[in-house]
Amino acid sequence: MIIFVVLRVLPGDPLVAMFGLEGFAKLAPADRARIMEDLGLSDPLPVQYARWMRDIAGGSLGRSFFRGDKVSELILHRGPLSAEIGLLSVIISWLVGLPVGIVSALRPNKLPDNVARSLSVLFLAIPGFWLGMLIVLAALFWFNYKAPLVVVHLWQDPWANLQLVIGPAVVLGLGQGAYIARMSRSCLLEVILEDYVRTARAKGVGEAFVVVRHALPNALLPVVTLSGILMGFVLGGSVAVEQAFGVPGLGRALVVAVIERDTIVVQNLVLLYAVIFVVINVAVDLSYAWLDPRIRYH
Amino acid sequence: MSDHASDRRTFLKRAGAASAAVVASRLPVPGSASAQDATVKPDPAAKRGGTLRFGVHTAPAHFDVHQSGTVANIGAQSPMYDYLLRRDPRDGQTIIPDLAQRWEIAPDGKKYTFHLRRGVKFHDGADFTAEDVKATYERIIAPPKGVVIPRTPLFSAVSDVVVLDPYRIEFRLKEARPRAFMLGAFASGWNIIVRKKTLEENAGNLRNVMAYPGTGPFRHVSRRDKEVWIMERNPDYWNKGLPYVDKLEVYHMPPFSPELGSALLTGKIDYGRLLDPVSWRRAKETPGMTAAEFNQSVIQAVFMNNKKPPLGDPRVRRAMHLALDRHALVEVVKDVAPMSVGGFVYPFHELSTPAAELISKRLGYQKDTKPAVQEARRLMAEAGHPNGIRNLTFLVRDAATFKLWAVAIQAMLKETLNIETNLRTVQISQWFEDAAAGNFDLGISAIVSALMDPSDYFTAWYGKDGPQNYSLWTNPAFHDLARQIEREVDDGRRKTMVRQAEAILEQDPPLLPVSYEKIYDAWHNRVRGQNPSTFFGIYDVVRWDNVWLAS
Repeated sequence: MIIFVVLRVLPGDPLVAMFGLEGFAKLAPADRARIMEDLGLSDPLPVQYARWMRDIAGGSLGRSFFRGDKVSELILHRGPLSAEIGLLSVIISWLVGLPVGIVSALRPNKLPDNVARSLSVLFLAIPGFWLGMLIVLAALFWFNYKAPLVVVHLWQDPWANLQLVIGPAVVLGLGQGAYIARMSRSCLLEVILEDYVRTARAKGVGEAFVVVRHALPNALLPVVTLSGILMGFVLGGSVAVEQAFGVPGLGRALVVAVIERDTIVVQNLVLLYAVIFVVINVAVDLSYAWLDPRIRYH
Repeated sequence: MSDHASDRRTFLKRAGAASAAVVASRLPVPGSASAQDATVKPDPAAKRGGTLRFGVHTAPAHFDVHQSGTVANIGAQSPMYDYLLRRDPRDGQTIIPDLAQRWEIAPDGKKYTFHLRRGVKFHDGADFTAEDVKATYERIIAPPKGVVIPRTPLFSAVSDVVVLDPYRIEFRLKEARPRAFMLGAFASGWNIIVRKKTLEENAGNLRNVMAYPGTGPFRHVSRRDKEVWIMERNPDYWNKGLPYVDKLEVYHMPPFSPELGSALLTGKIDYGRLLDPVSWRRAKETPGMTAAEFNQSVIQAVFMNNKKPPLGDPRVRRAMHLALDRHALVEVVKDVAPMSVGGFVYPFHELSTPAAELISKRLGYQKDTKPAVQEARRLMAEAGHPNGIRNLTFLVRDAATFKLWAVAIQAMLKETLNIETNLRTVQISQWFEDAAAGNFDLGISAIVSALMDPSDYFTAWYGKDGPQNYSLWTNPAFHDLARQIEREVDDGRRKTMVRQAEAILEQDPPLLPVSYEKIYDAWHNRVRGQNPSTFFGIYDVVRWDNVWLAS
């Protein structure tokens, strides 16, 4: 409802994208009114909203203003690419962030910790789209390389697909990894001072086993929570990063739709992103019970 | 027709492009008997086969080429269609036959008779006849309700379109128009010929009809929205032996973007159009690649709301016109978009003051800005603003070039005339809403025209109530002269009148010309048969029928 209203309040006219500068300038008021009517934009807002709800219920999500393409087809075609980028970035963030956090926590205020903290601050500060552009330019100028220009699904050509998604996934993953590293460091620092960790060490358990078996599982819970929240950043960040890499995913489709003022596409994609965000957070909440038996009993 | 010959030669002299002159001098005069036999012929040396990958612009917002005003449509869809006449792809200027095999113009200039090719078929197998031409042009001349065609004014003098027989059609005019103007209108890349039946089945609106049949050298195969449009060779193309390539893939990529540049430089595409200057320069330096630049029918300009005092005063507007250092403005955006200095008339058109003369002699265009600034200050004092003007709202379109220019112009106006402006940057669609509503003092944007001929844009840009006259400018003497220019069929007299109009515009500026857009193309040398160096704009020659791949 909010996005529906916001999109209708925002200034801007889809007819500029439709007719170009010259055509738009030559539109007579009567023609303009007729075209807006054809697009369904001159109906009262409640009617437009009800029509959108009907399209959602029917599963089609409506059609783009401009080329008449179904929004559901757009999502099915481009969604897998964005989903892969999201999942890969989470995996990368854990693969990078967790070891860095552990090393940092086990050697606090020593050289590895200082290096790890500096790098994590750096990656927290660097905007994803800027890093993305640097990677694209470096790949171009040093290796004369560019990823495929069109959508290639994993099941069509895994290698071409990987080339499309790996860049954005690495950029988003490194950004998230910085958060994960900082969170896992602070949680682990707290946990390794606990009595049961000291007891394990006193029993003569090896340091690696103490960390992996006793300390880490207890330190991970906040990290899992953080990952859920960061998924929201991935969704938002993917819009800019896909644009920087020129990856034809949903984020890029959203940018184009905003520029074109294709409100049907924008409102459906924002709705989709909102649903995904809610689902991820519910899944994270449910995972607590699995990760921490104490929660299950309460 | 001999007038056309002299005009073209004049142009070529002015352009000073020796290579272009060599090519063009072998081409026939537009409309002459030899031009009418100058259909593009297959080159025996050309290789056949292969896939040509062309990167151009973002995806079209709809599929109706007639209703469009952007290269998004032309770039992707043109290869599927033909026109009545076309610009020769070898020089981009000479008008040669297309679906009309030959044509006659009545001595009084009021009747254009076209003799159409026989045996031409649409992609759905239907025969092409004069009825299709009539339906196409009647739609362009008088669009049905809810359909807007920017080229409608080009044919405002046409009173009747009469089918004489299935392969002969006549356009009758209420009053004569310059032949170069009318032939240019018929050869415009926007005026593709579509089937009468297609128009009837879709109530004259093709915005949502993706692949309506044409007669062109390529047929639709598939399209992925905002990604690629794939076409295949039309085996039944009327021009036997053409096209050479089996498949054409048109990739939709934002103009002037690193994405387009990198796709070309890495060989993901064979030919890139609307390249950014950095990628273009790199392509030019890269062995095995060729780069070309050519003029485009777009002016970048600052509009001044004449309804807001003191901008209604011509002295103030001329002072602002003289205060701009146009060479610096071209330099400011040199890494973003290619531009050139020009005035109120396309600087590269045969009717305008030659660019070299403009830059060396005329105030406001010279590299040394001191004399112009001195005159500007005198005008401001004379207009009662010796201490400048405060608080002008400067409406800026949210695009890299306009944002860079706006800051530079703001500084130039402040430093030279003490005019203070407040920048308000808005998204493109909002810019046009605000401009149309008059919610600005100054506003910077780009405007385009269908033809380079002044009679097209004198009405649209500077005409009273012209659709792109955002300044709401009026000048009765200019409007009278523009009407005469529109009707004058003698090229010599017309040229004199255009120069007079230019003089009026200099003294009473309807806008501040910032620069004229140029187009950067580059391609891998395996692409043969295409050199756009002498093209005028990107709208008339996009068919790829004479292009072949060496490997």
